[in-house]
Amino acid sequence: MPPGRHPLPREFIARHQRARIIAALAEVTVEKGYRSVTVADIVRRAGIARNTFYENFSSKEDCFLAASEFALDEALRRVTDAAGKVDSWPARVNVGLAALLHYAATEPALARACIVEVLSAGPAAVERYESSIQAFVPPLRLGRKVSPNGEQLPETLEETIVGGIFWILYQRIVMGQVEEIEELLPELVEFSLTPYLGAEAAKRAAAVAEPSVEG
Amino acid sequence: MARKRSGKPTRKTTRPAPEAEDYPPELARLPPGRHGLPREFVTHNQRERLIAGLAEAVAEHGYSGATIAHITRSAAVSRRTFYEHFAGKDECFVAGYDAVMGELRERVSEAFEEADDWAQAVKAGIAAMLQFLAANPSLARLCMVEALVAGPAVVERYDAAIQSFVPYFQKGREGRSPEVLSRLSATTEEALVGGMVSLISRRIIAGRTEELEELLPDLVEFTLTPYLGSDEAAKIANEG
Repeated sequence: MPPGRHPLPREFIARHQRARIIAALAEVTVEKGYRSVTVADIVRRAGIARNTFYENFSSKEDCFLAASEFALDEALRRVTDAAGKVDSWPARVNVGLAALLHYAATEPALARACIVEVLSAGPAAVERYESSIQAFVPPLRLGRKVSPNGEQLPETLEETIVGGIFWILYQRIVMGQVEEIEELLPELVEFSLTPYLGAEAAKRAAAVAEPSVEG
Repeated sequence: MARKRSGKPTRKTTRPAPEAEDYPPELARLPPGRHGLPREFVTHNQRERLIAGLAEAVAEHGYSGATIAHITRSAAVSRRTFYEHFAGKDECFVAGYDAVMGELRERVSEAFEEADDWAQAVKAGIAAMLQFLAANPSLARLCMVEALVAGPAVVERYDAAIQSFVPYFQKGREGRSPEVLSRLSATTEEALVGGMVSLISRRIIAGRTEELEELLPDLVEFTLTPYLGSDEAAKIANEG
């Protein structure tokens, strides 16, 4: 590189461009819905050239899938970070769920684009979405180790718990109640912990549930 | 299309003059030999043939790939006839969706009503649903996967259909001790239904509809546990 000039690395720009496009997609999606959104809408909102869009994504659908993966990856990262700060499994579920709900509540457009609208992008999108939310299964599955009846729990338990939580998020977003999502924390913690710990212990663990202070 | 497993005559053969809406679209028109369905199920009703045509077209091409030409060809009606019944593909899909969901709901409701107590009713209802979906993989996919692409009217119906299972579970609150009730929240039933549908949906997406009926014990245990406790729920899930 020439002395005195340190351009940003290509990778950095690319990543941020993608993030910018995704943010634009989220905004226009909330306004128009998946079906009506066009690539033109997205590039206009992102303030980029059409070429730039196509350097990053092959189509509107591709962009949606990427947005959904981006958001769910970020959600998992926040959940994992929060969980890493506490010791017991119930506390991890507690702060992890808090982080997830906080993310959805503070990024409502992204939540809507990635949890609701993306499903209208076709069977591939539905499949990717359902696979992505499965990333939340392993942390939950750790509960079997601390559960008195861990051996007897149904094999599909974690899948159904995760599916249930995301269905509730989906419904709240559809009903325009994203801001109230964080209020669901105690009951969702209880719902998650009860099969492993029993109702009493789950209720106690949920009672100390506090909304995440992370921004 | 899978053959009915039990070998028992379907309900429909015991009913006099069944309405066209009684049949899932797939049954409405497909010739015997290809799908093993008796010719008496074939209806000459154009609308039903179009709905059946849509089901076939979507099964073959996906919702996005299915064209009106595909639909009319499958239905053996003219394009003009299509437009006499429906303004477009979306509207045809709504009709198809309603027909299939109507059939599914009826089977679940009947199974639920016939059972002795609530817990057995839930088991019977879930079993009926899994049986229907497993026996009709194309319709299962149409309702749970393709439906989401078919426009806001269908998505609304999809959401409402899932929520419509909530009351079956809410019934489980009747007669419970205050202690049990205190453990249930406003979102308990929604979460149970959502979790159940998510699991089923994944199997359908993966093309593993033959495995759907195997999910019954897990789903029964999962949904009954909040009301009965895990021991009782597991017992009911695994018996018979």
